Amino acid sequence: MSPFELVAPTTPEEAVAALRAGPPGETAVVAGGTDLLLDVEGGRTAPTRVVSLRRLPWRTLDWNGPTLTVGSMLPLRSLELDPEVRARMPGLYDAVRAVGSIALRHRATLGGNLGRSAPASDLVPVLLVLDAEVDLVGPLGARSVPVDQFVRASRATALGPHELIRSVRCPEARPSAYLWQRVRPSNDISQIAVAVAFSPSGRRWSVAVGGVPPRPVLLPEVAETLGSGRPTDAAVRRAIAGAARSVPIAADRRASEEYRRHLVGTLLDRAVRRLATRPEVPA
Amino acid sequence: MTDAELTVRVNGRTERLADVPGDERLLDTLRWRLGLKGTKEGCRTGDCGACTVLVDGVTVLSCLTLAHDVADQAVTTVEHVADDPVGAGVVRAFQQAGALQCGYCTPGFVVALTGLLKERGTDAPTEELLEGLQGNLCRCTGYAAIARAVARVREELA
Repeated sequence: MSPFELVAPTTPEEAVAALRAGPPGETAVVAGGTDLLLDVEGGRTAPTRVVSLRRLPWRTLDWNGPTLTVGSMLPLRSLELDPEVRARMPGLYDAVRAVGSIALRHRATLGGNLGRSAPASDLVPVLLVLDAEVDLVGPLGARSVPVDQFVRASRATALGPHELIRSVRCPEARPSAYLWQRVRPSNDISQIAVAVAFSPSGRRWSVAVGGVPPRPVLLPEVAETLGSGRPTDAAVRRAIAGAARSVPIAADRRASEEYRRHLVGTLLDRAVRRLATRPEVPA
Repeated sequence: MTDAELTVRVNGRTERLADVPGDERLLDTLRWRLGLKGTKEGCRTGDCGACTVLVDGVTVLSCLTLAHDVADQAVTTVEHVADDPVGAGVVRAFQQAGALQCGYCTPGFVVALTGLLKERGTDAPTEELLEGLQGNLCRCTGYAAIARAVARVREELA
């Protein structure tokens, strides 16, 4: 394991300055540390300087009408225990609970999960179907990026030099679900996962799949098949077939391609049926 | 690299530690600087829960926590978990149920269950408590006795 210098700035401006001051390519940002420290321990990354965001005032959770804004440093466990999140963004609740264990979720954060952008992230698929925006601060000021553009590839994001994730915004409370398949329910990575949401204002479905390297993806054609309200059985069957066909998956050591294509349909079916009877979904 | 001073409250005592490197894990601070060997190193990758401690009353994995990230916070390890009535009840439940074999995972289980009961209330359903212990692994596979300890913890707390 490599030694590193740790700095813990107290304001966003100081944090950006600390990033600029660090040696390029050798400076890392740490939120909860539950993913970065694994890579440091395993020798996959060897930063000489680490900027900890723990002192920044970013452990917030705010509702503004239908919009939920989550500070990037809020522990996932706080998100999970918020009764409004569970009621109004049930898919986000499902996804948070899929991450590690409770003790891990007391440290892990939404900002860290996005910034690290692991290919099998359990949070990215649901953020995709919620049309989440990632709020960034950096040397040139603040900007927001849709999560679909923020996550570029495995471990690659749209973060510019010296930029930090301040918060994640979900613009609309949506009936939503996140279902996954793993060898073991806990402490494992999803072989495949499906996130589904229905937008009451846009009267449209969104579908995303996770556990498909290099990154979770939206399936707009599949979502369209589901129509603009409670889907018919035939529409659900078409969506299942479409998902199984279009998902960009291959075999790896976690599962075969055939198994994954089969599971996408099964999980999609369950997720849509769970949501179809919600009052926000018109018949 | 610079080694900084770290002030942290461990089991009710304020510890002022000099020369703590930035990359030092809380697990190593507890075991090697403070001699609190009850907290175990199992996998060191956040999978097994043997290193679970309480930080400001909630469970964290000390192997994946930087020591400096808990500066000025209150850490409770298994050695002092029974100072609290909930922790004491958990310890009794484990004793009464004979919920240990080799014992290596026991500190993690005891701290994790104590943290969960303090977070969710001592009337939390047994099912939620069992599910909440998914992050703790017992390599002896002695889960049946551990589940019995969880099931009887309410009696011990009454």
